[in-house]
Amino acid sequence: MELIQYIAFAVIKIALLLFILLTAVAYIVLMERKVIARMQNRWGPNRVGPFGLLQPLADGIKFILKEDIIPDSVYKPLYIAAPMIALILSLISISIIPFGGDWYVAGYHIPLQTAAFWTGSGIQDINIGLLIILGITSLGVYGVALSGWSSNSKYSLLGSLRASAQLISYELALGLSLVGVLLLAGSLSLRQIVDSQAGSLLHWHFFGGLQFVAFFIYIMAAYAETNRIPFDLPEAETELVAGYHTEYSAMKFAMFFMAEYCNMVTVACLATLLFFGGWHSPLEGLHLPVPPIWLIISPLFWFFVKVFFFIFVYIWIRGTLPRFRYDQLMSFGWKFLLPLSIANIVVTSLVLALRS
Amino acid sequence: MTATPELSYVRILPEIILSICGIVVMFVEPLLPQRGSHKSLGVFSFVGTLAALIASLYQTNYPGWGWFNMIRVDEFSVFFHVLICAISAVVILASFEYLETQEIRGGEYYALILFGTVGMVLMSSAVELVLIFIALEISSIATYVLAGYRRRAATSAESSIKYFLLGSFATAFFLYGVALMFGATGSTSIYTISSALQSGQVTLGASSVPVSYSLAYVAVALMFVGLGFKVASAPFHIWTPDVYEGAPAPVVALMSTGPKAAAFAVMLRILFGAGIDTSKAWFWLVWISAALSMTLGNLGALLQSNVKRMLAYSSIAHAGYLLVAFAAVIAPNARDTGISAAIFYAAAYAAMNVGAFAVVSHFARHGERYVNFEDYAGLGKRSPILAATLSIFLLSLLGLPATGGFFAKFYVFNAAIKSDLIWLTVIGLINSAIASYYYLRLIVVMYMYEPQPGEEKLQLRAAPGLTAALVITAIITIWLGVRPAGVLDYATRGASRLLPSFQQSSNLSR
Amino acid sequence: MPNQPLPYYVNYLPVLLQIVVACLVAGGMVALSALLGKHRYSRTKMQAYECGMVGTGDARQRFSVKFYMVAMLFILFDVEAIFLIPWAVIYRKLPAAIAPALGAGPRDFSARMFGFWEMLVYIGIVLVGFFYIWKKGALDWNATTEKTDF
Repeated sequence: MELIQYIAFAVIKIALLLFILLTAVAYIVLMERKVIARMQNRWGPNRVGPFGLLQPLADGIKFILKEDIIPDSVYKPLYIAAPMIALILSLISISIIPFGGDWYVAGYHIPLQTAAFWTGSGIQDINIGLLIILGITSLGVYGVALSGWSSNSKYSLLGSLRASAQLISYELALGLSLVGVLLLAGSLSLRQIVDSQAGSLLHWHFFGGLQFVAFFIYIMAAYAETNRIPFDLPEAETELVAGYHTEYSAMKFAMFFMAEYCNMVTVACLATLLFFGGWHSPLEGLHLPVPPIWLIISPLFWFFVKVFFFIFVYIWIRGTLPRFRYDQLMSFGWKFLLPLSIANIVVTSLVLALRS
Repeated sequence: MTATPELSYVRILPEIILSICGIVVMFVEPLLPQRGSHKSLGVFSFVGTLAALIASLYQTNYPGWGWFNMIRVDEFSVFFHVLICAISAVVILASFEYLETQEIRGGEYYALILFGTVGMVLMSSAVELVLIFIALEISSIATYVLAGYRRRAATSAESSIKYFLLGSFATAFFLYGVALMFGATGSTSIYTISSALQSGQVTLGASSVPVSYSLAYVAVALMFVGLGFKVASAPFHIWTPDVYEGAPAPVVALMSTGPKAAAFAVMLRILFGAGIDTSKAWFWLVWISAALSMTLGNLGALLQSNVKRMLAYSSIAHAGYLLVAFAAVIAPNARDTGISAAIFYAAAYAAMNVGAFAVVSHFARHGERYVNFEDYAGLGKRSPILAATLSIFLLSLLGLPATGGFFAKFYVFNAAIKSDLIWLTVIGLINSAIASYYYLRLIVVMYMYEPQPGEEKLQLRAAPGLTAALVITAIITIWLGVRPAGVLDYATRGASRLLPSFQQSSNLSR
Repeated sequence: MPNQPLPYYVNYLPVLLQIVVACLVAGGMVALSALLGKHRYSRTKMQAYECGMVGTGDARQRFSVKFYMVAMLFILFDVEAIFLIPWAVIYRKLPAAIAPALGAGPRDFSARMFGFWEMLVYIGIVLVGFFYIWKKGALDWNATTEKTDF
């Protein structure tokens, strides 16, 4: 019985989650266009619906109705598979992210996480959640590499080679930057990592755990992993047309973008969970008087505020920074971030050993 | 007797010293000026191998188990430690001049030798199959790279790639064997396997299930394939001539002796230490492999015009002679004699083969141009001392009295006769006769042929390092031929440590 | 059966479901686009777009060895990085676990520093490798010639 309930809840949660995620992706694109426009003293999309709010819908319909061109020179199976791989992988990892504690609804405890259940006394989630997310996101390089190779176009190939080299280079720094957090939390379960930051602002790994260097490395590496400015070399339009998705059109083209924005969301969620106390309120520990309803909403509220903040930073940086040169990009990853992340591990473990 | 942490470190002292030296070399190498001899690193590596050698001797004071019974230090492993460290030291000595004439720079060369040595040394003291596999890989990967060290020569690249592809294939076989052995006996520790095979029961938690003997046999057969490749015994020998021909001569000196000795040590441990029932099928497998190796090796060597290829085939043949000793152990009359003969053979073969390849490496000149039989013409006149040294090694490889090779063969065939392996002995002796043709041919070419025109004046003065290497190997070769008793005694004591009778009395407490 | 604890692998069922749903979503998008979009064949349109000009030659060419180099270095260092993760997870529990073997109390300095020293040796070896490839120029992307020819 429990199992059936659990699966039923899981199905509902997955449906909700994917709906929210895909809608969010569409509106993050709109937000990005609006924010960038304002930064550049323009208006941005404002014709379709009030404030251009229906623009994502129009875009979506357009993408689906456009002609799906498959050039003759491509290797078809991989050409079609590549955007699917990219999108599928970016949709999977979100299922391991916890969005809050649990909701007590109609006699059931429902954890706000797809891959978790209520054991009767607490929530059990995947105890190696972080590893799984790392594993799934690192598979993302396949989508990029295969799309570039199967397109049989020089720009695509160059773009995908660059992207692959960039993704794997920054993955090292990304993985190592998380070790500091693991040292502090002593667990790979995302839920336990968040729990270890409960209390107040000072218990967040970013402040209390002195992981701001790790956070800096993480966010740099994550920008590179999601191919965002200032590391968007794979799609540098001035030199590579559109990089690995030059030959793609219609929905397949859109799928690469959806994958990229889904990954942005995942990265922002992870940054929140690992460094910024997850769904814990920064005002925790002050014992402010709040209405009881707020206690239910608060985790979700704070989680989404933090995620929204990181997504905004993404856009902000896109509006601010120019693009790296490729050799600078590689040496930044290998010669700066990698040694720095190792140094962070050594210092963190030393401090922990001395302080315990 | 659970080893204390400090003693555990002593058990792998040579490995630690070699690893640290290798790491230091890798660290210093990029700091040295790009153009310039990196001989200083070679000297440092040489000192490192000597230190490891001394550390192995020091280990004799502390025999026993270490690292959760994964390492075992006894006379057997110390013997191979000393042997392998000595091989590496001599090879490093011989490499100084070679690297200069070939214009190969690079401290990595020495670092790779050191890392390879770590693997070989670890192979001889490991008593846990997974650790043995790791050690095997450490030594193999270093030698794969070393084989391709003459970067400008296509043959060297060919040699490296062939060795790498076939070698990784062979180690996969070994690993398969390890997996099946684990399936059959529920353990990867040789001595636990031994007790499981003897009692016929595998303890799984509370219950115990019978050992699957057929699975264990398949496992040992697969491991035999993997190790057979490393020692270049037929029918896993095909790679040998091509790899030895292309690889740099000092590297061939190393990889035809060091990994071989280590692989034989592992074979001895697995075949006899694990107490595998030496049934008829087993015996014939080793018997056929030995006979094939001797015959194919010697027949192949007859046809060669390239000295390195000739020595490669000869090394196949010698693996065959060594396997005769294995066959003698399996036939149960002469266990002790067989194992000690095999150990002694490994040592004698190492001395003479390293020496022979050292001469080849000296004589090859730039780009390894002079490696054919006709290039050796008149060497007796041009450089009498070098020619005489090479003759000693060749005569020892042939097995003439007063050389190490004689006693090595003598002990092996002695053990074979004791075990009533008359036919194998006959095949071996016939093969020795065949072998005399090509060894003597080289000597005849050196002393009775006129040098080729224009090459009489070639400078052939050996550098100090090479001279030292040659002197050491020549002295050891002759010493083993004149006074073999000391080494043989030690080999016998090492052999006794392997036999099941000893294991039962030894303390196997976890 | 009330309060029968679910086995741990039940956690992975939703992930499996999510994979299935994600595949359906992705497949649906491709299928929908292929069905709804119009298709009109034209030779020029079906050529590779590249930069908009008529394409020349084939894209299946050899490319710089540096990409291979990066891939190899990645594998080396990623494996090394993976070893750090289990160590990091148990790091704070190590002193209590190792203390009896060291003959020290769990709050003693030697027990507390044990995990640190052990990993420092490991990281040191990794760093020597890193130093080596750095100095050898394997990380220099824009070096036109090899710094060294061994």
